[in-house]
Amino acid sequence: MKNIKTQILFLLLATLVSCVDSTENISQPDVSTDRKEMLTFWVEELILPSYAEFDKDLQAMLITADDFTTNPTEASLSAFRTSWTEAYISWQNVEMYEVGPAEKYTLRSFFNIYPADVAGIQNNITSGTANLNLPPAYAQQGFPALDFLLNGVAAQEENILAFYLDSEKGAQRLSYIKVLVSRMDTLLDQVISEWKGTAKDDFINRTGLDIGSSTASLVNAYVLYYERHVRSGKFGIPSGATIASAGTPNPDKVEAYYKKDISGKLAKTAQLAFSNFFNGKANGKQGPSLKSYLNSIGAKDPSTGKLLSEYINEQFSLIDNLVEALSDDYYYQIETDNEAMVKVYQEMQKAVRILKVDMTSAMSITITYTDNDGD
Amino acid sequence: MTVTDLKTSFSSYFNQTSSPAALAVFRMMFGVLMMISMLRFWFKDWIFQLYIEPKHHFTFYGFEWIKPLGPYTYLLFIIAILSALLICIGLFYRGASILFFLSFTYIELMDKTTYLNHYYFISLLSFLLIFLPANAYFSVDAWRKPQINSDKIPSWCTDSIRLLVVILYFYAGLAKLNSDWLFHALPMKIWLPAKNDIPFIGGLFNELWVAYLFSWIGCLYDLSIAFLLLYKPTRKLAFLSVVTFHLLTSLLFPIGMFPYIMIGTALIFFSTGFHQAFIRKIGAILTVSHSFLTPVRTYSFSKIQQNLVTVGLLIFFSFQLLFPFRYLLYPGELFWTEEGYRFSWRVMLMEKMGAASFIIKDEMGKIIEVDNKDFLTPQQEKMMATQPDMILQYAHILKEHYEKAGFENPQIYADTYVSLNGRIGKALIDPTVDLSKEKESFRPKHWILTFQDEIKGL
Repeated sequence: MKNIKTQILFLLLATLVSCVDSTENISQPDVSTDRKEMLTFWVEELILPSYAEFDKDLQAMLITADDFTTNPTEASLSAFRTSWTEAYISWQNVEMYEVGPAEKYTLRSFFNIYPADVAGIQNNITSGTANLNLPPAYAQQGFPALDFLLNGVAAQEENILAFYLDSEKGAQRLSYIKVLVSRMDTLLDQVISEWKGTAKDDFINRTGLDIGSSTASLVNAYVLYYERHVRSGKFGIPSGATIASAGTPNPDKVEAYYKKDISGKLAKTAQLAFSNFFNGKANGKQGPSLKSYLNSIGAKDPSTGKLLSEYINEQFSLIDNLVEALSDDYYYQIETDNEAMVKVYQEMQKAVRILKVDMTSAMSITITYTDNDGD
Repeated sequence: MTVTDLKTSFSSYFNQTSSPAALAVFRMMFGVLMMISMLRFWFKDWIFQLYIEPKHHFTFYGFEWIKPLGPYTYLLFIIAILSALLICIGLFYRGASILFFLSFTYIELMDKTTYLNHYYFISLLSFLLIFLPANAYFSVDAWRKPQINSDKIPSWCTDSIRLLVVILYFYAGLAKLNSDWLFHALPMKIWLPAKNDIPFIGGLFNELWVAYLFSWIGCLYDLSIAFLLLYKPTRKLAFLSVVTFHLLTSLLFPIGMFPYIMIGTALIFFSTGFHQAFIRKIGAILTVSHSFLTPVRTYSFSKIQQNLVTVGLLIFFSFQLLFPFRYLLYPGELFWTEEGYRFSWRVMLMEKMGAASFIIKDEMGKIIEVDNKDFLTPQQEKMMATQPDMILQYAHILKEHYEKAGFENPQIYADTYVSLNGRIGKALIDPTVDLSKEKESFRPKHWILTFQDEIKGL
């Protein structure tokens, strides 16, 4: 009896060993399944340095804004615009990190909701007492509002300066700019100082994958950002590719609509930051990432044997190539060749699904944000 | 063996009697666990979240009339809790077991998105209990009416519960005999690393061999455990492994009360002596008389009852043995189409995740994309996205809604994307098929796209 059992056991073990795909190997030297390590790298080497970099550019913008509002000249306006452009580009590197303190203060809502609400901005200037904390005021502040104020208040260049030199209303207008930039400074300060306080350790120590854990929260924020604010916001809505816009392009809804010639640069920066985060690259560093995590848990299609991270990076580079071929001015792009914009949207939609379904399934993460097209 | 022999051995089996202690202990255990389960459900506010808050519900085919009752849904739970209490103490037992079966089964049939195999198991158990004299010993009924207090009941009564447990485990094991489970360690390979931050043992879950070990042990466990429990020499060790196995799964997976129900149920395999000792202990606490614990009477069914029950059990268990194999009647991969997946003891068997968006077109040229959260809760949306029959049900919910909203003959198209056990996502539903024209039935659904791989095995 004993003998038979041993034989059966041996047979089963032998089958087991022979059936294990020998090419499969979970532990590769440069990868790790340690989520704490990954979270630490994310916050210390990616999130905080990106915020620091953005803060630097925002401070530079504050100085030029100050110059302009105390002494509006062609030169100070031009300097303000340049620093605004730099800061707006830099913002694209941090917008996806809407997790922890940034989520708490809903940073994105106050920094980059577009198209700008022009009527609301004009009202706020007149009343001088706007409450910018409320959702209806999202599109009356941040980079899009400054875009309008710096580039869109008049068709002719000299008339823009005149807008602020107006003896009657010029002061009110300048003071609204002051309110907006100092508000951005305050909000960013809050987020950065909270990250540097208890939020950092708290983030690093929630190592699970359940709802509310850091990895799950960040992946949710990351995918939501791409779906709503890159795919739909930068491409789908302006090009009319989303079903909600029923094929009607809305070129006036592009990012930086008044400046126009930087919308491409903004989108490219966002796309690069997004794929760099996936690959654990930023600020000259390389470390534990979604890619290395997926590789280390052996996330691959069992029928093709191809790594999931390869599928994702292939899709990213396909998108990169398409985005690279676009004009820097998406308004112009939509007016001349909207098909190219629609194509980007479609490929981004494929990326969203791979990230939202394949990646979260492989990682055992639940997507908790409800899909909201809102467009 | 001749037919007559078979008949004789069959009827002699049905005339065998044994101690009612195991069934009485099972009755009490079942009542207590059911009360805890239902109260837990209540305190977690799931009654509201799952049955009252959602605007729409996914009913079962053929049971469309079973729907949540608004605020009265709480009443259903109260009925189930009270009847579980009555079952536990054995008061008004027959009525209580009927009431429990009806209220519990009603609750489980209200919404498909909350379907769990162990709820089905509880429904089946409570159905069996209706016909078993579980109150014939150590119950309030037996105390009130000494004429039913018995020290012998027909053996098939306890055995029928054992048989149901045997089927559950064995079929759960059979379902694991497939290439993904055994030769790719899927979905274990996906699920285990997610728990690698558990203190002490977490690191093991990163190891591929551990995923294989879990898969193989899980499969062998399911296939053999019921028989090891039946066989006296291996029983104690088997029970120990039941406890270990289920506690481990409760540590790793969010499966609620299931492990405790299975541990409690496994006690049914223990000997009369074990159950008698247990009852004597409770009896001592309750200070019941010695004569109450030692009646001398054999519980018997009338000839007609006996015949009805025999036929009923034969039908019931034949159904249990055959129904899980209905998937063989459908083309395509079961895990992908899920035609015949439920009610078949396929427990924690695959990692499936999906996204589904719906496009409504009408004759006037209107076209919109549905925002699923206007209709479904996140939980419902998640379940719907991977299961074709729910996708169809949802399409019909949408059809009805958009007809009222002024769409002329709305056409409903599903844009789906599903990943199964780590395979890169593919469309599950043919996006060119207007689902508003399709009807639910037991026939194969031609609008499910073919699975582009093969999972070998049962």
